Amino acid sequence: MEKNKYLLLGSSVGVLLLLIVAAQESFRKPWRQVQASGRGEDGEIAVRLRQITNANLRVGDRCVSCHVSMAPGEQSVTGAAILAAHKPVVHDPAEYGCTVCHGGQGSATEKADAHGAVHFWPEPMIPLRFAEAGCGTCHTALQVPNRELFQRARQTVDRLDCIACHRIDGRGGTIRPGGGRTEGPDLSHVGIAGYDKGWYEKHQAHAAKESAGPWKTSFGKIDDADLEFIGIYLATRVSAPALIEAKATFHSFGCLGCHRVSGAGGDEGPDLSRAGEKDPGQADFTNVAEGAGLDRWIAEHFRSPVAVVATSQMPPVAASQKEIDLLTLYVLSLRRRELPGAYVPRDQMQVTRFGQREFAPDGATLFGAFCAGCHGPEGAGKHASGGATFPAIANPDFLGVVNDQFLTETIRRGRPGRRMPGWAKDGGLRDEEIARIVEHLRKLGGAGPPADDNWRASSKPETGRGIYAANCSGCHGAKGEGGKGPALNNRAFLEIATDTYLMETVSRGRRGTAMAGYREPSPTRRALAKSEMESTVAFIRDWQKEKK
Amino acid sequence: MSAPATPPPALQEFKDNLRAAPRRILETAFRSGNPSTDRTRSTFIFSNVFLHLHSVRVHRWTLKWSTSMGLGIATTAGFLLTLITGILLMFYYKPYPDAAYQSIKDIHFVVPTGRFIRNIHRWAANVMVVTVILHMARTFYTASYRRPREFNWLIGMGLLAVTLGLSFTGYLLPWDQLAYWAITIGANIAQSPREVTDAIGITGWFDPGGMQKFLLLGSDTVGPEALIRFYLLHVMILPLALMALMSVHFWRIRKDGGLARPADADQRLGNAPGPVYPVFTQAPLKTYSLAAIVRGRTPAVGNGPENTVPSMPHLFYAELGVFMLTTLVCLALALIADAPLKELANPSIPENPAKAPWYFLGLQELVSFSAFVGGIGIPTLVLAGLGLIPYLDREEAGTGEWFGGPGGRKVVFQALVVGFAAALAIESFAIRFGWIREWYLAVPQFVVTVLNPGTILAAVYGFYSVWLVKRYKSTRAGALGLFTCFLCGFLVLTVIGTYFRGPNWVFYWSPGDWPRH
Repeated sequence: MEKNKYLLLGSSVGVLLLLIVAAQESFRKPWRQVQASGRGEDGEIAVRLRQITNANLRVGDRCVSCHVSMAPGEQSVTGAAILAAHKPVVHDPAEYGCTVCHGGQGSATEKADAHGAVHFWPEPMIPLRFAEAGCGTCHTALQVPNRELFQRARQTVDRLDCIACHRIDGRGGTIRPGGGRTEGPDLSHVGIAGYDKGWYEKHQAHAAKESAGPWKTSFGKIDDADLEFIGIYLATRVSAPALIEAKATFHSFGCLGCHRVSGAGGDEGPDLSRAGEKDPGQADFTNVAEGAGLDRWIAEHFRSPVAVVATSQMPPVAASQKEIDLLTLYVLSLRRRELPGAYVPRDQMQVTRFGQREFAPDGATLFGAFCAGCHGPEGAGKHASGGATFPAIANPDFLGVVNDQFLTETIRRGRPGRRMPGWAKDGGLRDEEIARIVEHLRKLGGAGPPADDNWRASSKPETGRGIYAANCSGCHGAKGEGGKGPALNNRAFLEIATDTYLMETVSRGRRGTAMAGYREPSPTRRALAKSEMESTVAFIRDWQKEKK
Repeated sequence: MSAPATPPPALQEFKDNLRAAPRRILETAFRSGNPSTDRTRSTFIFSNVFLHLHSVRVHRWTLKWSTSMGLGIATTAGFLLTLITGILLMFYYKPYPDAAYQSIKDIHFVVPTGRFIRNIHRWAANVMVVTVILHMARTFYTASYRRPREFNWLIGMGLLAVTLGLSFTGYLLPWDQLAYWAITIGANIAQSPREVTDAIGITGWFDPGGMQKFLLLGSDTVGPEALIRFYLLHVMILPLALMALMSVHFWRIRKDGGLARPADADQRLGNAPGPVYPVFTQAPLKTYSLAAIVRGRTPAVGNGPENTVPSMPHLFYAELGVFMLTTLVCLALALIADAPLKELANPSIPENPAKAPWYFLGLQELVSFSAFVGGIGIPTLVLAGLGLIPYLDREEAGTGEWFGGPGGRKVVFQALVVGFAAALAIESFAIRFGWIREWYLAVPQFVVTVLNPGTILAAVYGFYSVWLVKRYKSTRAGALGLFTCFLCGFLVLTVIGTYFRGPNWVFYWSPGDWPRH
């Protein structure tokens, strides 16, 4: 019976000790120590839980309990680096909070939990080097060209030395002698704020008036091509230069050929519209080296898609480390947050309500964004690992024999039975955009449509059967079903392919492919007579007819 | 200067009264005076509304650790801990989707000691579930359910059900993925009668399963209605029910003469070690009234008080000792491990595997074979079987003794082997070779409902215990076997459901082998 007494005594002492430990743990939070080390204008700062709240954005961020200088009205706390103020940005953190842009867990009060790389928190912080991805939470950069055009635009601005007077993305801008301002206005976010489209004429007029100073020494005539590039560059100045370059890079690898973003793109791969929100806890990091951040996962996925996602059909992206970083930044920026009406930015509204495009409307960008993935950046075609062949559509021998209607219709309707999807309906491309792509193709291949497109093969189809069997069926299949060479009995193909196209292809062949021209003999066979080729074309054309 | 005036008598009296007030408050609160003699100790107990549930003297058998192992008190302690911490949590908790989750985050991160209190709540609830099951096992193995305690056994089963109900309803409240999908699974188990009504084709006009589910959720899916329902059940209806049942449970223990003990308990105990307080040093201030002896089995009748000791302090040391030990365990667990909180509930991302709370995973394992058998059939059988035990076993031998009765330890040991072997064998078979549905796709569901690992296991256990009844010519022997088998089956199924079932309820040796997407 005595042992009950000791049981009571022992347990009670134990409980008391544990309560003390628990109280210690509950009240000695790291943020208290951080705040105790800070000094404000009047000496020590009050140690209390600080938070930024914004009911509209549904934000309650306690990050400022450690990052005190970012708290509303406390911009001047000094001490450890953790207390430092935010660098100047468009959106005041004291109003917008932290997690809207940076991700992380706003309600948390300890570092690991707050930065969010913990179990069961789907939105860890975006790594600082990819910080501009946070802009994608609300914003959508508009009319971004492909990377080549973007780089040329930047080079143009650099070459013309616009930053002698203007400050752009933290570069350049000479301070006026005697004055506190730069010579020209800061152009870092004219892409959002807008700018005077008549600036060049005004610059010219101003330069004519001035007799000395920078207007005489630094400003000169600019030709139209350069003006166009300056326009591209200015339109994309949205205070997120890295994100723009990232998006431009994305528009160069043909990613949209298989992936959809904001409604435009192919359906071979998953829709990427919110790919940057992927919960790292749901991702498989088995084959991802170094760390467990979503950025690592995405980057590794670019290098070796199959290693990261076993069922992936995506080919590895042949890109440099710099380009992979940019692509990763862009994918991380593909995120969305429900916003109250007043907070929806204009650029997002332009895309969702007014059909404005995220990619630039020129043919080169469109080709880079939608076609380059399969047909190659120069349209030279591709042999994918699975044996699939993507035609070399910029081949001049091909372009020389097809009319624009063939190209347009192929893009519009796609090629049923093949990987080429119809871009007009499913792919979300508009007719004028398809027309730009056709123009660009012509430019790439340097070949216009055939002069005479109305020729018709007049032979009886039956006469071509033997010739086809002897010469063509080896590659194109006995019934034109395709083999090493493309299928010829595809009705969608025959509907838009003219006899001229077929005849000229048979006759001249297509350089760079296995298809040799039949007007010349080869070591293994004789040349075909024109009539023979014509009957072959008639034989192929016959597949177009409805078969019972 | 005049001499200091003596204060007027009234003022002096006021000062004296003021000085004496604290002592008087104490005296009037505990009207028995200093509990230093047996008499004052007795008075202390029965003049106190909270303590008078105890008898003033307690048999030494009751105080042996092996008698009850303090499991009932530990369960009560678990309840009191959850009650106190639960009330504290209610100050911050908001029973509405999303807001609920955010409020748990706030409790975790910014409410002073909030995280600790929530952890205690969670651990005390789990401790309560464990100890209530162990308490039932103790009561069974010491045959303490026998006359006159039969009905208290049924009340105890009610307490078990309410305890599980409290734990289950609390599971949803954090509104995270774990909660959402566990309750979804739980609600689907409630819907399992559909398997039978579907098989007969009457679900269209008679759907008790769907009704049960709808009653539970207030909707077809887990949503705000379910949350408010679970909240109300959790913080009001079930705690009140539990407290009512507990009062009756305790009151009946007192009325049934304390804890069951063997008829020869006095001989077995021998002489009390150490100083024994004389039974009554003075003539008892209060004699047992007629009301206390109207029934035959009150403590004072037929038994000399020789082997009793005053409850104050001996029983209170024991009870408070167990209470503090339980508190210690809960606090320690609360410091070591946080209560889980996964991602915000998301109806569009199902957890795979979605698992019910651990104490229902045995049932979920059975449900994976047949929803009806796991959700209704086996639970009904188990409840009916448990409830009938005191009414079928009317024997006398072995009351109050561990594994008492014909067969005793031998039967229990054998039943452990049979129980584990049967459960493991049938599970291994089903895991290795699949079941009827995998062999014959088109077989009617009715066949699977009748013939599945759950029913086969129940049948094996049933036949085994019938054999035991025959072999030992004793219902108690059969009950010992069946109850032991039931515990083995519960353990095996629960462990398999908890640790060895992965996505799509496929068997895996460890979560490390689970496929990623």
